[in-house]
Amino acid sequence: MGKVKFGLGEFFCLTVLFELGTALVVNLGMESGRDAWLSILLGCVAGLIMFTGYAYLYRKQPDLPFTAYTRKLLGKYIGTPVALGYIILYINLAARDLRDGSTMLAMATMHNTPLFILSTLMLLSGAYVLHKGLEVLGRTSMVFAVVVMLIGLFGTLMLMLSGTINLNRLLPVLENGIQPVLASVIHQNYMFPFGEMVCFTMLMPYLANVKKGPWVIAAAMLFSAFLLSFTMALNISVLGEDIVERSPLPLMPTISKISISDFIQRVDIFVVMVLIIGVFFKMAVFFAAALVGISELFRMPYRRMLYPCALIILFTSMLDARSFIEHLDEGGTLLYRVYPYFMVVIPVVLVIVTAVRDHFSAPRPG
Amino acid sequence: MMRNRSFCLSLALLLVLQVLLTGCWDNVELNRRAIISGIAIDRGDTEAEKYKLSFQVIVAEEISGEKSRGISPVALYTGVGRTMFEALADASRQTARFLSLGHVRVLVISEKFAREGIKDILDVLERESDTRLNSEIFISKGQPARELMSTMTVFSKIPANDLVEKLETTSKQFGYNFRMAVDDVIRGIQIRGGGPIINGVYTSGDREQAGSNDSLKNIEPRTILRVSGLAAFKDDKLKGWLTGDAAVGTVLLHNNLREYPSLLKDKEGGYISFNIYQSQVTLKVQSADPEHPVITIKITQQAALKESPNTLDLTSPRVLDELSDQLTEETVKQLKAAVSAARGYKSDYLGFGQALQRKNPRGWKKIKDHWEEVFTTCGIRFEADVIIRHTDMRSNSFQIY
Repeated sequence: MGKVKFGLGEFFCLTVLFELGTALVVNLGMESGRDAWLSILLGCVAGLIMFTGYAYLYRKQPDLPFTAYTRKLLGKYIGTPVALGYIILYINLAARDLRDGSTMLAMATMHNTPLFILSTLMLLSGAYVLHKGLEVLGRTSMVFAVVVMLIGLFGTLMLMLSGTINLNRLLPVLENGIQPVLASVIHQNYMFPFGEMVCFTMLMPYLANVKKGPWVIAAAMLFSAFLLSFTMALNISVLGEDIVERSPLPLMPTISKISISDFIQRVDIFVVMVLIIGVFFKMAVFFAAALVGISELFRMPYRRMLYPCALIILFTSMLDARSFIEHLDEGGTLLYRVYPYFMVVIPVVLVIVTAVRDHFSAPRPG
Repeated sequence: MMRNRSFCLSLALLLVLQVLLTGCWDNVELNRRAIISGIAIDRGDTEAEKYKLSFQVIVAEEISGEKSRGISPVALYTGVGRTMFEALADASRQTARFLSLGHVRVLVISEKFAREGIKDILDVLERESDTRLNSEIFISKGQPARELMSTMTVFSKIPANDLVEKLETTSKQFGYNFRMAVDDVIRGIQIRGGGPIINGVYTSGDREQAGSNDSLKNIEPRTILRVSGLAAFKDDKLKGWLTGDAAVGTVLLHNNLREYPSLLKDKEGGYISFNIYQSQVTLKVQSADPEHPVITIKITQQAALKESPNTLDLTSPRVLDELSDQLTEETVKQLKAAVSAARGYKSDYLGFGQALQRKNPRGWKKIKDHWEEVFTTCGIRFEADVIIRHTDMRSNSFQIY
């Protein structure tokens, strides 16, 4: 462990792409209506608070992934099942993202392509990159981060020039007070996509710079929160609150409103590209987190479990629900009932245990 | 042995990968597609044939020219059904190629259907991933919508494109029609107590030869497709047509008017014409008492004098000030006509309710259920300011001595 090292720039890009992932194209935070952009920012604040916890644990054990410190801190008998739980969580999250991505692709463009084929192709590309190694994932992210940023810049500029943005559609802010925004943060936004950062605890041991690493990740989270918030505000100001709320992929109709002199138009294919890139990185990071966990917990080489794990992800994603509606509904329940344990409760317990241990074992001055 | 095995493996992999090279699963080759340029939606007589959809399909060979047979550049196919989707499927029985919805530029809904309600039509247009939100919507004024899709046009081989270009031209030069896409209409329907406004279109002249190239062989085309009037809606039902001052005022209030002529009656007889090339409306709402809000319409405009065949001394600022005061009155007259038309239809398609909601969300909640009544009685003030920037290339007009 610790042979492969990520640079700070690579980690920044990987974090940004992970955060943007599917969140960029879906109707994020629409429970709070036209204040969605606000609830994303608040969600990020909550996510950053959680992340300080993860960063604290990392600072104490910079060489160990999360599954290792559960055992170190909670003991073998409690720590091992917990670590196993995390591996299952990561596999499940990877599978859910794969299902999200393949279904959205089928809805948006490829109506007749079987879901299984789409999933397989997307998963295989992820598995191939991970087969080449984690550092390849990092370097790939740098390339695609540039692509995504360029597409974003192009889309924003063209929308402005098309004159379809009407900022009045974002008003009035906080029409029903702050409660709907907070409700949306609690139901969704602190967890998706910011709480999912828990899987970076598996990758942080590969950071080249222990001191600056967590700061760079936090900066990337903040940066992507601004991008997400901006994108949702853009969607609402182009389409209006109601259409965004009813669209599973609001970025698509927003971008399709681009029309400059009937010449530059139909650029919605860019959104499909962003969707594919986002799903790829999100799934690959969860996949990598699961693999690191497996190789650490069962002490086997990282590549041996790659393809079996890929198969598990593929079949979980296919068998997880019959329809997309069922899938989303299930996701909402998991988000509210299951993930908080893994993303908040257990890390908090670990932080407390570490702090208490430190307090008693710290060398007394003098 | 080892090398042999990996060779076989990579060969097998290569063979498998060949499958992927054939391209997308959903691929339909271009020569198997028929591109729809416009759709006319008529109300059939029975429920089983409620939707009567006429598709204007582009005949690609006739457009590109090389292999053209001299037949019509577009063909019209009609399908009927209980829903829009069924009507589309029904039409595909007549066409040799797959109807492709990705390039629909124009949707014409018949007036009869519009009076009945257009909400159900729009759902499929919004939901279907092939169709675009950018398609322009029209209401056919007093005639079946399919007649508008089956009229030959001079400037474009594809009548639907011609219609869009006409709309663009008139919106840039003469005023009160402007681009209205699918999502604009949907948002319009959702205005509480209001509705959308949609461009009207009709054909003038002889319908006998409208669909034939013969109509265009004369210098004066037999049939002309005209963009005219605005259809005013309450919710999703057409209530009436706006023309003249009311239409200009309405579009001014939507901030969508780019350029239009404004005329003043001269003391010596005859008219003076101005081109209003810049106008900006802001709505201010005083809503301390939401039951009796006061809406102030503030408008600033810039005009250029275009025509003034009289003895006015156009080098004197005082004369021009007087003219701009008269122009201001003219603008206020148009705005007043628009407001009283909207009140007549009891429909807030002007968006006053939304302005109130932005200003005072709490007050809006109290009155939004009976906004129609508040809208017809609320106070409205006008503050207009028109500036004549210049008199174009001459000062005074020439006289006979």
